[in-house]
Amino acid sequence: MPMYQVKPVCGSHMKTDLPTCMYKLPNVHAQQGDSSTAEHALQNGDVDPAVKALEARQDEIMRKLYDLKAAVEGLAKTVTTPDADLDLTVSSSLSSQSPTSTSTTFKGVTDLDKLLGKDLGALRDIVINANPAHPPLTLLVLHSVLCQRYRVLSTVHVHSSAASVPPQLLSCLGPRHADSYARQMFQLGFTLIWKDVPKLQMKFSVQNMCPVEGEANVARFLFKLLSPYPSDPAVATLVDSWVDMAFFQLAEGSAKERAAVLRALNAALGRSPWLAGPEFSLADIACYCCVLQGGPASSTPSNVQSWIKSCDNLGHFSPAKLFLK
Amino acid sequence: MTLEEAQGATEEEQQAQSKKGLKKQQKEAEKAAKKAEKQAKLAADQQSTEEDDFAKDRYGVPAMVQSQQKLDRVLVRIQDFTPEKADQLIWLRARVHTSRAKGKQCFLVLRQQQFNVQALVAVGDRASKQMVKFAANITKESIVDVEAFVRKVEQKIESCSQQDVELHIERIFVISQAEARLPLQLEDAVRPDGEGEEEGRATVNQDTKLDNRVIDLRTTTSQAIFRLQSGVCMLFRDTLTKKGFVEIQTPKIISAASEGGANVFTVSYFKTSAYLAQSPQLYKQMCICADFDKVFCVGPVFRAEDSNTHRHLTEFVGLDIEMAFSYHYHEVIDSITDTMVQIFKGLRDNFQTEIQMVNKQFPSEPFKFLEPTLRLEYTEGLAMLHEAGVEMGDEDDLSTPNEKLLGRLVKEKYDTDFYVLDKYPLAVRPFYTMPDPNNPKYSNSYDMFMRGEEILSGAQRVHDAQLLTDRAIHHQIDLEKIKSYIDSFRYGAPPHGGGGIGLERVCMLYLGLHNIRQTSMFPRDPKRLTP
Repeated sequence: MPMYQVKPVCGSHMKTDLPTCMYKLPNVHAQQGDSSTAEHALQNGDVDPAVKALEARQDEIMRKLYDLKAAVEGLAKTVTTPDADLDLTVSSSLSSQSPTSTSTTFKGVTDLDKLLGKDLGALRDIVINANPAHPPLTLLVLHSVLCQRYRVLSTVHVHSSAASVPPQLLSCLGPRHADSYARQMFQLGFTLIWKDVPKLQMKFSVQNMCPVEGEANVARFLFKLLSPYPSDPAVATLVDSWVDMAFFQLAEGSAKERAAVLRALNAALGRSPWLAGPEFSLADIACYCCVLQGGPASSTPSNVQSWIKSCDNLGHFSPAKLFLK
Repeated sequence: MTLEEAQGATEEEQQAQSKKGLKKQQKEAEKAAKKAEKQAKLAADQQSTEEDDFAKDRYGVPAMVQSQQKLDRVLVRIQDFTPEKADQLIWLRARVHTSRAKGKQCFLVLRQQQFNVQALVAVGDRASKQMVKFAANITKESIVDVEAFVRKVEQKIESCSQQDVELHIERIFVISQAEARLPLQLEDAVRPDGEGEEEGRATVNQDTKLDNRVIDLRTTTSQAIFRLQSGVCMLFRDTLTKKGFVEIQTPKIISAASEGGANVFTVSYFKTSAYLAQSPQLYKQMCICADFDKVFCVGPVFRAEDSNTHRHLTEFVGLDIEMAFSYHYHEVIDSITDTMVQIFKGLRDNFQTEIQMVNKQFPSEPFKFLEPTLRLEYTEGLAMLHEAGVEMGDEDDLSTPNEKLLGRLVKEKYDTDFYVLDKYPLAVRPFYTMPDPNNPKYSNSYDMFMRGEEILSGAQRVHDAQLLTDRAIHHQIDLEKIKSYIDSFRYGAPPHGGGGIGLERVCMLYLGLHNIRQTSMFPRDPKRLTP
């Protein structure tokens, strides 16, 4: 901070007539080039470069501190979430989706050609007819996971039988892909049609498949595109029974049934980190969505609440949560 | 013969004659007696009628309406006859749909377009026997002026559109009499084909209907169809005008055939000949090059195709669209499909009565569509057909049966009657279609289908004169004939695209009818030039 300035008593460029009869001595007050600038009173608001360097160092240290803090928080979340190798909420916000992130969560290799039939050179389109009164959250979640794994062309249509549909349902599959004009470039099509149907319905290959009905069954079909069902039949049956319980009792059941299922969930989560054992599976996705649809979690037991938090940390469920907002 | 024999013969003859003569005379006498009886009865009747006709001035055939006087009479519409009007004395003008005498009463059904109401003349102090007889003898389809009281009825009259009221006639005059023998009966024309076969009742052949179009158009079904068609035109104009399109009218007498030249009508034009326009293609594009940016035009289209099918006419109404786009021709597709969806929604929301009326005679599934419209690529369509067992090459055009099959497959998978097939092979499209930038086998062209039948063919057009010339040479088209067409692109032309639909075909497919002549008021085909 400069000190307050006093006007010079006499002008700095006063012309003095130096007498020539006396001998000359060098001027004691003259400016001496480079050395003494620092000692001069700084009158123009210049910042001392040394101070600048100091400030820069301070900023650098603060930035490193913030980075460290974020990293520690991330680690803390990972430690409390079983089975996640990295914190996907952070990675998704910092960088674009990388296909490898989900392969850590869904292990096992799947082959689209084996599951969906030979690629005939045209887009393989999965058509889902859903009633706008009962939006399928599980399928939205599975769709976002599918998008990370494959190149998926997603479209939303409104059928002529459906009355007006709220705008959030029209944008539930995310923004339109930039390349959506070239259908051939995608591996998979996901077409969601809001229609006045009594039960959710999926059609894929009209010649070879009959339509698949019910959100549970469609969820199973879509999940198999990501990773195969557990090979152990006991575990597979467990997954299936949780999925059915989620859709029949949690979503559509009475309050007593819901409470019973929540108690069962609590008991199961006490024994293992995820519902079907040590690995995250379709059972967790289904139950999470149905629990969430049931409303705010005020009376959910403690294990269930921590399980919900772990699911949140995984980052797959953001479309569902966005939707419910 | 001898004289005696001859005499004897004549005597016999005379005797025979006299016997015959007697019989004859007897018969004649009987006849005369009967005739006299009849005449006496008639005379007696006439006397009685002449005597008792106190209602003579309340019925009859007045002088032809030559605007003799301007009456301040208010004529009420039949659709306004509701119980609120009970006991009012009103006038109306309608057609006699049926008239039926029953003893001292005559029941008439009076009709205006799709509404009808029962009317009654009964012998009493207001109406005489002669008046009732006169009413019973009015020929069907005659136009009558009626003054009547509106009366409420306890039992609903099921056979009429106005079920809660009937008219008690005070005065009835025939304004325009119809001939006694009609070429077709309206009830028969409206009867569904299946019902006619079951109950053994008559239905009317399509040719008969078309020959007597004036009567056939009076049926409720025809009225509904053409009101809906008017709605389609109105929605088309309104939607496009809201999107900023300008309506243009293009010439129909042109000097050169635009699309190849095989199917044009020639007209003599003073000392030379000219052609009737096959489509407004050339002029639409010239308007775009003239900076109109977005145009549409509604007008007749003439195709000299000798096809006698259920969906071809030689003259039909074309609704054509052309617009300049910024970067991708999908902007054009989106605009056209959105217009079509708005038309479908407008019909679904505002014309339900007409649709139901048509369905009574021609039952069909309601029309389903998706919003935004489904767009499949040609390769996807081919894959679906391959899956269904159809053998087709990559660059083949779709034949009509394949189009219908594909329509059914799409309906099964997506449950929509309307979709767009994009990226057709270049080889099957006209020379002015823009080729695909990445794959020379394909083009930036599309077709739209309703219920499996094509309604629109469109594309991005070539807007570069050099490329257009190359493509024309490739298709072996005489450049001299299309010189003015190519010239329009030499002075700066924006990238543009468009397409055209046929009004009659869209109506036919929307309502699920099976013959385009039902949606054309006075159809023209290779075998029909009148009415």
